[in-house]
Amino acid sequence: MAAGDLVLTGLMAVLLVGIAALLTRIENWRSYTPLAGGGTATGETVIHREKPAGIVRWLTTVDHKDIGILYGVYAVIAFAVGGIMAMLIRLQLVTPGGALLGANAYNSILTSHGITMLFLFGTPIIAAFANYFIPLLIGADDMAFPRINAIAFWLLPPAALLIWAGFFLAPVTENMIEPAQTAWTMYTPLSVEQTNPGVDLMLLGLHLSGVAATMGAINFIATIFTERDDDVSWANLDIFSWTILTQSALILFAFPLLGSAIVMLLLDRNLATTFFAVEGGGPLLWQHLFWFFGHPEVYILVLPPMGLVSLILPKFAGRKLFGFKFVVYSTLAIGVLSFGVWAHHMFSTGMDPRLRASFMAVSLAIAIPSAVKTFNWITTMWNGRLRLTTPMLFCIGFISNFIIGGVTGVFLAAIPVDLILHDTYYVVGHFHYIVMGAIGFAAFAGIYYWFPVFTGRMYQRTLGKAHFWLSMVGTNLTFFAMLALGYLGMPRRYATYQFDGAIAPLAQVETYHLLATAGALILFVGQLIFVWNVVQSWLEGPKVEDGDPWNLERDGMLDREFQWFDRKLETTVTDGGEEEEQSALTGARSDD
Amino acid sequence: MEEQPGLSDQYRMSSPWPVFVALGLALSEIGVFIGLFPVAVFGLILFGGSIAGILTESGYATRPWPTLVGVGVLLVLLAALVAVLQLPTSAFTLANVGEGPLFTRLVAVVVAGAVMVAMGGAGSVVEQTKV
Repeated sequence: MAAGDLVLTGLMAVLLVGIAALLTRIENWRSYTPLAGGGTATGETVIHREKPAGIVRWLTTVDHKDIGILYGVYAVIAFAVGGIMAMLIRLQLVTPGGALLGANAYNSILTSHGITMLFLFGTPIIAAFANYFIPLLIGADDMAFPRINAIAFWLLPPAALLIWAGFFLAPVTENMIEPAQTAWTMYTPLSVEQTNPGVDLMLLGLHLSGVAATMGAINFIATIFTERDDDVSWANLDIFSWTILTQSALILFAFPLLGSAIVMLLLDRNLATTFFAVEGGGPLLWQHLFWFFGHPEVYILVLPPMGLVSLILPKFAGRKLFGFKFVVYSTLAIGVLSFGVWAHHMFSTGMDPRLRASFMAVSLAIAIPSAVKTFNWITTMWNGRLRLTTPMLFCIGFISNFIIGGVTGVFLAAIPVDLILHDTYYVVGHFHYIVMGAIGFAAFAGIYYWFPVFTGRMYQRTLGKAHFWLSMVGTNLTFFAMLALGYLGMPRRYATYQFDGAIAPLAQVETYHLLATAGALILFVGQLIFVWNVVQSWLEGPKVEDGDPWNLERDGMLDREFQWFDRKLETTVTDGGEEEEQSALTGARSDD
Repeated sequence: MEEQPGLSDQYRMSSPWPVFVALGLALSEIGVFIGLFPVAVFGLILFGGSIAGILTESGYATRPWPTLVGVGVLLVLLAALVAVLQLPTSAFTLANVGEGPLFTRLVAVVVAGAVMVAMGGAGSVVEQTKV
C-alpha cells in the first residue's frame, strides 16, 4: 500500500507542478497589450486574434461556437463507440448460443452501450446544437456564463473515461477492475452487491456527466432569460429555444436527484450505509429515485430534437409551423407531466394498484401533447411546397419513427399490456424507435441543416440521402423485429437464448434476431457514410458563398443564425481577410 | 463581449481555468470516493486553486488568496462536521488514518483544506511584502 501511495503521490505532485508551470506560461498572455483600434504608433496594423492558435485554442476557448463544436465532436465519437458496442450486441445474438462474447463481456457491453448513448451521445449532441445556435438565434453575444459553459464541457471527457474505465483497466489489473455489469438502470441490490470497483468508477463518471448537464442547463436558462436581443421577445422566441428552455428546467429538477441517488449508492457500496438495503430504505427506493430522474430524462433527450424538427421542417415545407403556440404549450405540458409518470417503469414490482392506476392515467395523458406536436408537423407539410433535402428527409423520418415509438409507448402505459410485455424486447424496440429513430434522426437533420453555417462548406447531397435511406431502412428493420421479438416473449438483456420451446418459439425468435442484426448492419453502413461525408465535406467540400444556402428568403424564413452567417460571409469577402482578423480591423462584434 | 473580458486583452475568448476546474473536480471525486488519499488531496487542491484562479480572472475577486483560504476553511469545516456527526470519538486517532474508511477520507479532505489555507496565507503574505 505504501509503495502504491508513494507512486500516486509522486504522480500527483508532478501533475500539479506541471499545471502550475503551464499556468505561469499562459499568464504571460497578460503582458500583451495592443493599442486601441489595432494600430501601432508607427501605423502598422496588428493582427488581433481573440484566441491562441493550435490545440491551446481548443483547450482554453470560452467561445460558445467553439464549445458547440467540441460538444459535437465529443458526441460523434461517443456515438461511434456506442454504435460499435451495439454492433457487438447484435452480432452476438445471431445464434441462440451467442456468437461472439462471454456472458460477462456481453453484460459489460450492454451496460456501457446504454450509458454511452444516453449520457455521452444524447445529452452532448443536444448541447452542441444549443451552444452553437441558441446565442445566434436569440441575438446574444455569447452564453450568460462563458466560463461555466467551458467547465461543463470539460467535465465530460473525464466522465467518459470513468464510464469506460473498466474496459481499459481490466487487462492491466488482471480483471480486478472490470467494466460495470449493472445495466444502465443500475438496479439495487445487484448494483450494491457487485464488488467490482469498475462500478464505482462508472458511477463517478455518471455523476460528473450529471454535474456537467446541470451547469449547462443553468447557463441556458440564464442566457435565454437575460441575453436576448431587444427585438427577441417571448412572443417571437424561436421554437428550438423554447424546447431548450424547457429541457433545461427538466435537467435542473432531474439531474441533481440522479446525482444524489448515485452518491447514496456509492455510500452503500463503500461506506456500509443502508439507503437501499432491506433494513434501510429498501431496494425499491432506488427504482423510485432512479425513475424520478429517468423518465424526465427521456423528455430531456426528446424535447430539443422535437424543437429541431419544428424549426427545420417548415423551412422545407414552405409554410410556417402550424399552430406554433400549441407546439410551445405542448412542450411545456410534456415538461410538467414528465415528472408524474415515473412509476410506469415499475408496474410489475407489486406496488399499490391504486398508485399504479394513477401513473397509468398520467402516462396516457402525456400522449396528448405529443400527438398535438405530431399533428402540427403533419399539417405543416399539408399542401406545402415540399423540398426533400437531406435534413427534410430526416425530419419526415423522425415523425414516422416517432409515431411508431410513441404508439408502442401508449400500449406499454396500459397496465395489463405492460404486465405481459415488461422486460421483453418490445420495450427495447419501443424506446429505440424514440432514441435512434427520433432523437438520432433529428440530430442528423440538425447537422445537415446547419452544416453550411458551422463549416462554411456544403455536404455531399447524394451521400446525405444514402445516409438517410440506409438509416431509415436499418432502424425500422432492427427495431420492428424487436417489437415482434417482444410479442414472442423474448426477454431483454439476455446474452444467449437457448431456452425451452415452451417459453418462446425458438426458430421464430432466431429469425427475428437475424433480421434485427441485418438491420443493424445496414444502419452501420449508413453511419460510415455519414462520418465520411461529414469529414470529407468539412475538409474539401465546396465553399458556401451564399448566406442563404437553403433559399429560405423566398418564404421569409431566414432565421437569425443564417442572417449572422450572411453577415460573416459579407465581412470576410469585403475585407478579403481571415475571419479572426475582422474584429480588430473593422471593429465588428466579437462573435462575428 | 466587452463586459465578459477574457484572461487578457489579446485573448478575450480564452481562459485556461475551466479545464483545470473540471480536472480538479474529477480527481477530487475519484480520490474521495474510491479512497485514494494522494489523488483526493491533490484533486481538491487543484479544484480549490482553479476556483480561486477563475474567480480572479473573471473579476469576481480582486486577488485569488482569500478565495483559496475560504475554500480551504470550508473543506476543513465540512470534514469536521461529518466526522463529529458520523464517527465515535474513539475513531479520532492517528493510528486510524489509513484504517477507518470514512476517517481516512475525511483526513484527506482536511489535509487538502489545510494546504489550501497555508498556500493562500503564504501567497497573501508574499504579495504584500512585494508591494
